[in-house]
Amino acid sequence: MRLYDLIQQNKNLRFIDTVSGKSSMVTEFHKSIAIENSQGLGFVYSDNQIDSIEVFLNFLESNFTISLLNAQLNIQFKQSLEDIYRPYYIYDTSRTEIEGYKKCSVSESITLFKRKTKQENPINKDIKLLLSTSGTTGNPKFVKLSDNNLVKNAMSILDYLPITSHDIVPLNIPITYVYGLSIFTTNCIKSNTIVCTNKDVLQKDFWEDFKIYKFSTLSGVPYVYEMLNRIGFFKKEHEFLRYMTQAGGKLSEKLISIMIAYSKTHNIPFFTQYGQTEAAGRMAFLHPNDLLTREYSIGKPIKGGEFELKEGTNELIYYGENVFGGYAKGLDDLVTFNKSNKLFTGDIAKKDADGYYYIVGRIKRIMKLFGTRINLDEVELILKNNLDGNTFICTCIEDKYLSINYLNKELTDNSIKKVLREKLNLHSSSLVIKYIENIPLTTNGKVDYKAITKNED
Amino acid sequence: MNTTEQLYKVIAKALDISTEIITDQLEYQSIVEWDSMSHLILVEALETTYNIEIETEDILEMSTVAKLKDVLKKKNIEMI
Repeated sequence: MRLYDLIQQNKNLRFIDTVSGKSSMVTEFHKSIAIENSQGLGFVYSDNQIDSIEVFLNFLESNFTISLLNAQLNIQFKQSLEDIYRPYYIYDTSRTEIEGYKKCSVSESITLFKRKTKQENPINKDIKLLLSTSGTTGNPKFVKLSDNNLVKNAMSILDYLPITSHDIVPLNIPITYVYGLSIFTTNCIKSNTIVCTNKDVLQKDFWEDFKIYKFSTLSGVPYVYEMLNRIGFFKKEHEFLRYMTQAGGKLSEKLISIMIAYSKTHNIPFFTQYGQTEAAGRMAFLHPNDLLTREYSIGKPIKGGEFELKEGTNELIYYGENVFGGYAKGLDDLVTFNKSNKLFTGDIAKKDADGYYYIVGRIKRIMKLFGTRINLDEVELILKNNLDGNTFICTCIEDKYLSINYLNKELTDNSIKKVLREKLNLHSSSLVIKYIENIPLTTNGKVDYKAITKNED
Repeated sequence: MNTTEQLYKVIAKALDISTEIITDQLEYQSIVEWDSMSHLILVEALETTYNIEIETEDILEMSTVAKLKDVLKKKNIEMI
């Protein structure tokens, strides 16, 4: 069964718009907007509000391939993605016009942009969804996912999360982020109410909604848990909260102990999960019963999944039907979908005697800053392109700081900060900027990142 | 003596913005620079600058510059 049909099967499902308080049953969203009956690509810039959800569901039902993108993406990035992929439809409430597109009122409240000239760009029928590997850099690299990938992952998650048909679930993580998407798909299939919101946990409105709608669960990347802790969430009793989930990187030791204590005192199961966009969501979870004894473990593979450690490097390899069908960097890559059950995660892991896995390092040059995946090579390129072709060497300091080394004495810290603020919305407090005289190289002439990292310690 | 000018400097530094765009009406999440992350940086900066403690209710209350001033006023920090 398709993801869309599984969602429509949950006939009691309703969506609530927190701004207007209006609610809609899932059945009301069936073919609720007029989309052409053909194949093609649709860009959905989602802000997690009810209209975005309605558009997304309609495209899921259609034969269109969807690219879910963050509505807050920098406008230049949006335009360059559109130049590369030439989508037939665009949903973006932040723009009033787009060159080469005409506005179409497709329902009372929803407007889509439709390309004036339809081009025949063949898209493999297995590609249902394109997700960005990084939410913010505007890199045109997309992960190609099939409907089957999404269904298989949702079913595996439903196997371990205690979702019930009475649950009321806020979308407090953007659905453009694979973790947010899996919260959306699983709860659409099984829970009762989805509360569409773009409010965050530092807003009074969010907590008013929390009380009014009686949220059954909360989800978060480590940074959300930091915020919850800062505002004293774990010091209080929350009558309707049944369980909590976390993904998107490791929690700090301090927060893990806070969560263990909170979970125990209030009998709130806490699920930590491990996943990647390339796996359409989750690959492993730690059962709440194991939290006390193996708090640093990513747990065991989800139902239908298997892990293996690559000989020699100990890279974690995942096997499962949720593994993606390759990357796309442009239109040509949309012709193929390489079905594969095998995913090289880029993470280095170890396994204990009882079969629990632990992440011990990373092969790829990727860091997580506030739950967002940042490719360090990409940051180097963005800086180069925006600062007169100068050379930058970026490394990560404990997933907390982005370190930027530059070679041209005449550059200023401020000019670097400005680019990173404008392009990637990075706050200067998470940057460590420094001038270096030369680049340490390895014996085969590559940048010796290890040597640079060492100097930073 | 606490001045609005000084407060705006604290806000500008925490949010990574220019003091020129700060007004009483400036709202949390209305500009990309004032997001959840910089909001917590701002809270910390205010705590250090004015030697105060800001509780949960007040963190959630400070959704505009004007409301932020109200919170400070409650703590006997008045701007001139």
